[in-house]
Amino acid sequence: MKKSLTLSLLLGASLFAADLSSVIEIPDASKIIQKDLLAPVGIYKMPDGCVTNDPKAIARGSYIFHNLNGGNAKGDAPEGLSKKLPDGKEKQYGNCVACHNIEKAVGGGNVGPDLTKYHEMFIKSGVRDAQYVYQKIADPRVDNPNTNMTVNLATKLFNEKEICDITSYVLSIK
Amino acid sequence: MRKIAKIALCFTLFASLSYASEQFAMSDADRAMYEELLENNPADMMLASGGNLLEELGGDAAVAKFLGVKEDALAAYLAGFPRYLEKFGRVVSIDQMLQGMMHESGKKPYALKSNEMFNMSSYVKSLANEQPINIDINANEHMKKAYAFGKEVFDTKRGARGLSCYSCHNPSVIGTILRTQPLPDISAKGNASAATWPAYRMTKSNLATLQKRFQGCMENALLAVIPLGSPEMTALEVYFTHEAKGATIALPGLKR
Ligand code: HEC
Ligand code: HEC
Repeated sequence: MKKSLTLSLLLGASLFAADLSSVIEIPDASKIIQKDLLAPVGIYKMPDGCVTNDPKAIARGSYIFHNLNGGNAKGDAPEGLSKKLPDGKEKQYGNCVACHNIEKAVGGGNVGPDLTKYHEMFIKSGVRDAQYVYQKIADPRVDNPNTNMTVNLATKLFNEKEICDITSYVLSIK
Repeated sequence: MRKIAKIALCFTLFASLSYASEQFAMSDADRAMYEELLENNPADMMLASGGNLLEELGGDAAVAKFLGVKEDALAAYLAGFPRYLEKFGRVVSIDQMLQGMMHESGKKPYALKSNEMFNMSSYVKSLANEQPINIDINANEHMKKAYAFGKEVFDTKRGARGLSCYSCHNPSVIGTILRTQPLPDISAKGNASAATWPAYRMTKSNLATLQKRFQGCMENALLAVIPLGSPEMTALEVYFTHEAKGATIALPGLKR
């Protein structure tokens, strides 16, 4: 008993002396990351009446497409879209323009494909349909697990209706 | 010493300036400011003040002694950080190493996020200027693990937009434009991030370390920001440093 106690004391002392890790900052980040992980890929079916020519829906979709967040967006948000979340924090928008060029884009990026004349190029030609676009915006991993694009519905950044607004905007004739 | 830093910087900037169009954020005014700062990087003064803080601990010689290397081998040794150090029983970055050194000399270590530590650790890394980055991720099991962990953190999609570092820093997107910013090449073939940070950030008017820059991207891309010095951060630094292996260290950098 006595012997093992001395031994463990000795061991403790030598560990302490040998190891400086206890005096430096090594904060834990694993919990932060665990809570922040992305949900598995979601397969989503477009709800009825999703894509519309309603100018108000298209205006909301456009606003979400071209802006980063409620704090940064210029002008009033269109009817039916808030700049703030219920908890008072600023609402995040899509910032799609960071990666995509489209009609009237200011500083549009080219990380993703150019979405200009989308209706004419992709829908009329039969290459894509509304369901494809809806799914791609909701969760782009479905046809490309390594996609560099943002995930917008599985992350709960937007709700179904907002994904419909954005889809309506992309598909609209501008 | 500083000359080399400037040549490297010119290349770095050339890459982003060569997209000649007003759609990019570096306006003529920015460019003029950049050229002026190139002559006189404000971070020079911050590193100098870091050097003074280190003097109080015994200066460069004390760092060499603490690390158990000869003074003339210190530069090359520092070019291999983050390293596994027996004294710590783990892989540590230069700032953590300095915390250990301060403790041993009876001083209360500066917090990792303090200006003092930014200045001092940047100064210490700049002692490796002109050295090629020589990190050895196969040096031991600890380094192997840190690298693998760093890659995992780098590749992990998370946050409100479901992005990973890889989303914007992979070979297929280098040079493409994200909201007016060309996506940089973080490897030795391009920008060599680990060899050009710590740097003065013109848009923030401050000196930032590589880990601080990681936090900037986390914030912008809506990934939850993780703390400096966490095993995840150190591992990310190991990953970025290995990506830039062989690139010549040229500090302090000057960035947008
Ligand atoms: C960080 C970059 C990035 C952001 C932000 C982004 N995208 Fe994309 N997007 C891409 C890439 C890259 C692709 C190419 C396909 C792929 O990799 O999945 C793509 C593909 C698409 C497509 C499919 C085009 C086609 O028919 O092939 C649509 C539609 C689209 N994005 C819309 C959006 C919308 C709407 C938003 C905002 C809510 C958005 N994107 C935000 C990068 C991005
Ligand atoms: C949505 C896109 C995006 C994501 C996601 C992203 N970055 Fe970045 N990163 C950028 C852009 C754009 C720049 C260049 C910005 C500039 O020039 O100011 C950059 C620059 C950097 C730099 C500085 C490069 C240099 O040498 O100047 C580092 C380091 C970096 N990112 C690390 C990370 C890490 C670590 C992560 C993940 C935690 C990450 N980034 C995620 C877009 C991104």
